[in-house]
Amino acid sequence: MKALVSVLLALAALAGGAGPAAAHHSFAAEYDDQKPLKISGTLTKVDWMNPHIWYYVDVKNADGTMTTWAISGGAPGQLMRRGITKDLLVIGSTVNVEGFRAKDGSNNGFGQRVTYQDGRNVFTATDAAGRAPQP
Amino acid sequence: MRRVSLRWLLLGLVALCPCGLSMMAALDAQQATSPAGIPRTTDGKPDFTGTYQWPTYLPGDERGRSSATVFDRKRFAPLKPGGEPFLEPRTGDPRRDEPRDFCMPAGFPGGMLSANAMQFFQTKNHLVMVHEFQRMSRVIPLDGRAHRKGLEPMFYGDPVGRWDGDTLIIETINFKRWALDDYYYTNPKEYRMHSDALRTIERLRWKSPSAMSYTLTIEDPKIFTQPWSQEFEILAKPEWDKDGLFEYVCEENNRCPGGKCPEK
Repeated sequence: MKALVSVLLALAALAGGAGPAAAHHSFAAEYDDQKPLKISGTLTKVDWMNPHIWYYVDVKNADGTMTTWAISGGAPGQLMRRGITKDLLVIGSTVNVEGFRAKDGSNNGFGQRVTYQDGRNVFTATDAAGRAPQP
Repeated sequence: MRRVSLRWLLLGLVALCPCGLSMMAALDAQQATSPAGIPRTTDGKPDFTGTYQWPTYLPGDERGRSSATVFDRKRFAPLKPGGEPFLEPRTGDPRRDEPRDFCMPAGFPGGMLSANAMQFFQTKNHLVMVHEFQRMSRVIPLDGRAHRKGLEPMFYGDPVGRWDGDTLIIETINFKRWALDDYYYTNPKEYRMHSDALRTIERLRWKSPSAMSYTLTIEDPKIFTQPWSQEFEILAKPEWDKDGLFEYVCEENNRCPGGKCPEK
């Protein structure tokens, strides 16, 4: 669990500011900062690939069905330079993700903030300069 | 006293004509005294071989909203009449509005300012800059050769380097029209595009044994009334040497090109 906290903290730091840190494109090309995203669910899969890692969260709906959200993060190289490797991401953990939805309205988004289910802040996202996230 | 007077004379020239800028730079290079303990090659030149953080802001400069560095708008020279395409309006076509979203190159100087590690390799006749972001590589001749002729405009332009004392000056021309930096992050209504007349001058020098001064001068006569510059800092990161640069193949899993994401 401690490892997961570290990983999510680092993911958050990389996701600081209004958009992905050092994305290969502008945030506004793929995400809508007028469409906030807030989900809770189970981490089910991690794609550790460029240009950004993607992690997948299964969210249970009120009717009992399940929706899988795909959430974008930093580039693998940026993460590994902070000592974070794929095997530190523990599949099966429950996470809350706050961020922004994809512009196309699909179940994809950009993760800006992650907390545990008990409401504890895993992190307050900041960028490399230590600034708080901006809407 | 004589040197101070000369500086004021040159400041006057700067106000009167663009040529004063290069004269000022020459004077600055002369006056810049390299600190003791900076890395040097066997022939006494400053040695920029090493692993570095991307160029970052000096205190007081405007910052963008992502961790990628962007230019401070206060540094810009006034736009020329007709230079407005620099702030290109969105067209709604993602292939035109944001080609990088389809893994097209970031280009220079935008790619250089991306928030990834860099590794430089220097020989007597070349400086090779490799940026982890998109594995951008720039091979800069230091042997006094002229720019190549007859080439099509390029994303990263055609650089040549020369020494001015302990300052390495890199002049790059022959660019495609492309994104200047990543300012679209901060204001989607302003997509800063340089023209194909862009000419960049980089000035690189050690200001301490672990930090370089990196000044970028932007000359784009189709857009700006005169050249303008911004100084950044490049920090040495020897602790990153053990891992080196990581692979960056943008096409590997670019899930949402043009904002079109697949359902899982």
